[in-house]
Amino acid sequence: MDPIRTYLGRLLLEEITPVVMVITTPLVEVACQKNGFSFVDMLLPFSLFPRIDVPVRTASDQPYRLQMFKLRLFYSSNIRKQNYEAAEEHLKRVVYDLNEKNPPDLLSEPPQLETALTKSESDLCPAWIKTFNKELIRTVSFSEHETFDHPVACILVASSKDEEPINKFMDLFNMDQTPPLLNEGAMDPKMLKHYVLLHDNQDSSTENAASIFAEMKNTFGQYDCKMLSINSLREGDENNNDVLWLPYRNYGILDHDKRCLLNTDDLNQIREFMQDLATNHIIPYMEQKIRVLNQQVSVTRKGFRNQIKNLWWRKGKDDVPEASDGPMYTYSSIESQIRILGDYAFMLRDYELALSNYRLLSTDYKLDKAWKRYAGVQEMSALSYFMLDQSRKEAEYCMENAFATYLKVGSSAQRNATRCGLWWAEMLKARGQYRDASSVYTRISNEEPTLHAAIMLEQASCCYLLSRPPMLRKYGFHLILAGNRYYMSDQKQHAIRAYRNALFVYRDNSWSYINDHVHFNIGRWYGSLGALDVAIKHVLEILACSHQSQPTQNLFLNEFFHFVQSAGKRFDVHKLRLPAINMSSFKVIHEDHRTYASAADFDVRESAWRDLEEEMIPTAAAMRTNWLDSQLESSLKKYDYCVCVAGEAVKVEVELKNPLQIPIPISEISLMCDLSDDDASTLDNGAPSFSANQNTGHMESSVYRLMDGDDSLFNLSKHDLVLGGGETKRVKLKVTPKVEGILKIVGVRWTLSDSVVGYRYFEIDTSKKKKAKKGVRNSSGKNLILRVMKGIPKLEGRIDGLPAKAFMGDLRLLSLKLKNTSESAVKNIKMKINHPRCLIPGNSGDDLSFPQCLAKNNVHEEERCTLTDNKDTFKSCLFSFAEGNAVQGEEMFSWPIWFHCGTPGKVSLLISIYYEMENSYGGMTYRTLRMHHILEVLPSLDVSFVISPCPSKLKEYLVRMDVVNRALSECFLLHQLSCVGGNWAISTLPSCNNISSVQTVLAGQALSCFFKIQDLNGVTKEGECTRHGSDVLIATEGSLNSLLDISKSPLIDFHYQERHHQGKLSEGSQSLLDFVLLSNAVGSNFESEAGSDHQLLSHHACHCSVVGKSSISWLMGGPHTVHHDFSNSFCEVDLHIDLLNCSPNQVNVQVSTFDYTPDTTQNPSSDSNSVPDLSTKQTGWSDISLENDTRVMSTPKKVQKYHKPTSESAPPFIWSGSCGMQLSLEPACTARVSLKVCVFAPGTYNLSNYELLWKEEAAGLSVSGTGRGHPFYLTVLDGPHREVTPV
Amino acid sequence: MASTACFVIVSKNDIPIYEAEVGTAPRKEEVAYQHQFILHAALDIVQDLAWTTSAMFLKSVDRFNDLVVSVYVTAGHTRLMLLHDSRNEDGIKSFFQEVHELYIKTLLNPLYLPGSRITSSHFDTKVRALARKYL
Repeated sequence: MDPIRTYLGRLLLEEITPVVMVITTPLVEVACQKNGFSFVDMLLPFSLFPRIDVPVRTASDQPYRLQMFKLRLFYSSNIRKQNYEAAEEHLKRVVYDLNEKNPPDLLSEPPQLETALTKSESDLCPAWIKTFNKELIRTVSFSEHETFDHPVACILVASSKDEEPINKFMDLFNMDQTPPLLNEGAMDPKMLKHYVLLHDNQDSSTENAASIFAEMKNTFGQYDCKMLSINSLREGDENNNDVLWLPYRNYGILDHDKRCLLNTDDLNQIREFMQDLATNHIIPYMEQKIRVLNQQVSVTRKGFRNQIKNLWWRKGKDDVPEASDGPMYTYSSIESQIRILGDYAFMLRDYELALSNYRLLSTDYKLDKAWKRYAGVQEMSALSYFMLDQSRKEAEYCMENAFATYLKVGSSAQRNATRCGLWWAEMLKARGQYRDASSVYTRISNEEPTLHAAIMLEQASCCYLLSRPPMLRKYGFHLILAGNRYYMSDQKQHAIRAYRNALFVYRDNSWSYINDHVHFNIGRWYGSLGALDVAIKHVLEILACSHQSQPTQNLFLNEFFHFVQSAGKRFDVHKLRLPAINMSSFKVIHEDHRTYASAADFDVRESAWRDLEEEMIPTAAAMRTNWLDSQLESSLKKYDYCVCVAGEAVKVEVELKNPLQIPIPISEISLMCDLSDDDASTLDNGAPSFSANQNTGHMESSVYRLMDGDDSLFNLSKHDLVLGGGETKRVKLKVTPKVEGILKIVGVRWTLSDSVVGYRYFEIDTSKKKKAKKGVRNSSGKNLILRVMKGIPKLEGRIDGLPAKAFMGDLRLLSLKLKNTSESAVKNIKMKINHPRCLIPGNSGDDLSFPQCLAKNNVHEEERCTLTDNKDTFKSCLFSFAEGNAVQGEEMFSWPIWFHCGTPGKVSLLISIYYEMENSYGGMTYRTLRMHHILEVLPSLDVSFVISPCPSKLKEYLVRMDVVNRALSECFLLHQLSCVGGNWAISTLPSCNNISSVQTVLAGQALSCFFKIQDLNGVTKEGECTRHGSDVLIATEGSLNSLLDISKSPLIDFHYQERHHQGKLSEGSQSLLDFVLLSNAVGSNFESEAGSDHQLLSHHACHCSVVGKSSISWLMGGPHTVHHDFSNSFCEVDLHIDLLNCSPNQVNVQVSTFDYTPDTTQNPSSDSNSVPDLSTKQTGWSDISLENDTRVMSTPKKVQKYHKPTSESAPPFIWSGSCGMQLSLEPACTARVSLKVCVFAPGTYNLSNYELLWKEEAAGLSVSGTGRGHPFYLTVLDGPHREVTPV
Repeated sequence: MASTACFVIVSKNDIPIYEAEVGTAPRKEEVAYQHQFILHAALDIVQDLAWTTSAMFLKSVDRFNDLVVSVYVTAGHTRLMLLHDSRNEDGIKSFFQEVHELYIKTLLNPLYLPGSRITSSHFDTKVRALARKYL
């Protein structure tokens, strides 16, 4: 690439050019000021010669032509080094001026990635930055260590109005306004001088001027004098003013207020003057000087001898104390001469000559430790290398060297370092090494004050973007750094510009802190500039900053509210992130023909309800004919929307979460809805057009309409709440449509801190929608569009008094309250309950004074329910309220319901109530009301019964009731034990009549009571049982002294349920009878609602069977003491065995007697067989400890029975009569077998040596068993014969 | 002397999936974003550098003032980045290797979705322990 065509090349051609010093008299300036500029300004547009085409010869006589040339004109007063502060001030002003001329465009959209990448360098870096760079470079002009800023020529200007102009010319150069460097000796005072006489045509005629000019020529020589006449414009010829002033306008030095007085001739004259000055005077002069100096340098420095000499001479100067700038060199010193030679050669583009001289000089300066000069020379040689387009490495090395050396010198050369860096960076950029360039800019930025650093960093960032591949993140980072520094130097607009440009790098960024920093700062700065809309937009991005600390969150939030308040208008923010809305928790609850008593009931699975309602509601097909026949038929077929009813609220549950640690107040949370007509066309494109709205910047009007809602169409509920730090709350929002149509639930809106309105659309994924069609009811998008039906009656229901916790066995009377909220009546009410064991509807005529209604009423003899298994009546559990039971509009309807809980644990009660409309309403003919209750049943009393046969009586049994209180702290008062059915009489044992001592069961206490029961079935002699009854009152004190009738409605109903239920558990075991234990709960810790004395509990123990019962029980009877006179004969005693068939089948029994003593070893084995058999039969018992008890008790009895040895070797008695009898017994039948025994000697005999063998035919299987005789002791006394007295 | 060390695991989608300030210097709000900026910008360098070498440990790839960024690139192009001001290359290398092992263990968790944020407190404690040991 041609170095001249690069930016740096052009910059060098413009900036490193000969300097012309201008000295004027005051009158000259007055003349120029008529046009509004100074003399230098007047010449300025003509100091650049784009095509000068001057032939030049190098020092070695090589001819070449200069194409472009430039002169720099300065007043002598300006040829001085600026001090640092002044330079700083100047640069600041430059930035401000440039900023005002073209303010950055801050309100447009920030750039995007694609546009940024396609931008060229000039677009990326604002143009004013280049200007700033130039100005920055110019601040280090006129330093003593560089000579290209030293004036080559001097123009002395006097006005024709000046008194004695010739003398003025003499004075001008000698006055002390000459530059200080000239006076110090750093500059060569012998320079080319040019004398100009300025004539103002407005003041006087040209004759006077011409005479002065002639005099000048005589004095200063013909060639060095020029006359310029200006302001020759006359009144009236202003025709082509604009074209004329174009050069000045380009330089920006024209003041519009002033009249311009120059005409075309004047300008041409000036142009010719400048051309002449450059071509004929300055270039030849420089050429000449190069020759002279080159000659001089060759003589003193070139050649081997000179080099040795030089080296030796420099060595000798080692002891010179090291000054900061190195030794002082005057213009006449050989080093300065070489430098001038180099600079002149550089300015005349003889770069090779320049380079050779710079290299020569750099070793000298290095040896002299004149570091600043050394750096300057290095800098120039690098530029020479660049212009020669040679050895890039060398150029870079020199630059780096120069830069480092300048930095080493310290603060005095710091700006030089900056200039060097800028050139270096430009050089790298020219060669496409953008990444290196950016690092150079970064290095400069470290040395400069903040404003400059900001500009440098911005340029660095541009370089990162331009490098291939673009380094976007570096670009962003450096822009942020730049913006930060702009802000520090009070350039907010530039700061915003920098941050905005970086935005696309950090868009959708999960680097949270970066995001927060960028958006917060942009927002804040926009806010301070008054662009509150944009400020709020940015601050909104960072509101949900859960990762920040609490003070930062506070800061963000306060800033946000501050902006919003100062903006002072309503803000609607889509997707406001405070609070966060958990869309997965989103739920729509709407009621069509299914209505719910409470929102929680909605959570129960639909299938559970469906199962429950299966028999109750009309079948699906029937239902369809019902409401598809109506006018909605066609549209409903088409649009399978959910249905809701006008006047009834549709509820939407949404979870709100506060991501911050600070509480935020939220008010007016409500839904955004849209209710449209039934028109099919709106249905068709309703949803899609709406979603399109969301995507492509929603239309404001529609949003407002959605937000404010339409009171005539629907009502919206509004909620206010305060979300604490990190808190999550569920909000239930309602919309109540008033008219028919299609209701679309569009979104939710809320007001944050009374200032900002946030809203959010419920977005529906199309993929989700598909899934939803498969029947997922909750959270499906389809639910958001509802068809509103005409208002139809609705029942609201609740169950009064249903506890959340109850003890097992708790028996209560509840009341079901149904309320018809509409005006028209409903009829044909049916109810179904999933747990008929827990809830049984009562009769409307029931005496509601519970539990007194249960009291036994002797006067009113009720027909006893037989214990036939009428389970089937309760299996379906469909309860129809009386046919005429229509609930009129606005009417309350109440129905008693009995409640009883059988087993401990959690019970989920589903109650569904079906009803039909009195009048047929458009769509639906029936509705269901669903109620769901969950209650926890706590364990209370554990009751178990052990029934063992009474040893002395066949039809009597002993009952041991084991009661354990499993409640934690509750005491129970036993009230009554009843056996169900009329065939049993229960009584307390005579020995323990005083049972009242055990009536209270404390928490954790276990106790046992004994009762006797008697089978009344076969008892013929009424008189024997004096006091029989199926109930035993245990309690003697307490409020409820009377016996309760268990055969009355709720108790017997629940008993059937329990029986049915427990029967399932203990299948196969032989059931004898059922017990019902009634008790009262007393105690401190019971729930207050249940704290009354009437807390009645009923425990049902069903299918109790006799322990260890074989299918046959028998009892031997006969006299126990017999008096017999053995002198006559042996004694014969009549005995008999009563047999009872306890099995449900027919049994064949064989009684066999034997006279020998059986082998005793056989017995325990058969015994051991029976014991486990016994325990397995006890599976119905839930409690193990109780079972253990029974075993412990029963075992010794048995052992005793079977281990009784019969010690006699030969029995002194024999069985007489038949020794083997066989008979068949029907179930529950008794039979008597007569036996005879002959006794040969007096004594006491154990008549247990008989055996019963039975065979039972049960369902094709024959079960057989044997039984040994029970001990029966017969005492025969020798004596006179008496009557045998039976025992 | 209080040292700064900011450790970040960046997923292959350039999303930080784990961040921890493991230095001994007291944590300050205003440097948190600065660290992120430096690490984020260093990704540009890593992007170039990662393909020039077969080593996983790229040593220090970038610097900002006196803060140095050391990077370790896993085979899945997950980058473990450490911003530090100490000069302990061996320690940093060992640290990276051990954290890499921990990271692989996290990846083996079937419930962990690769590329998602690592929220395991166990991982966090382990990393901090390693930082104390090596840095």
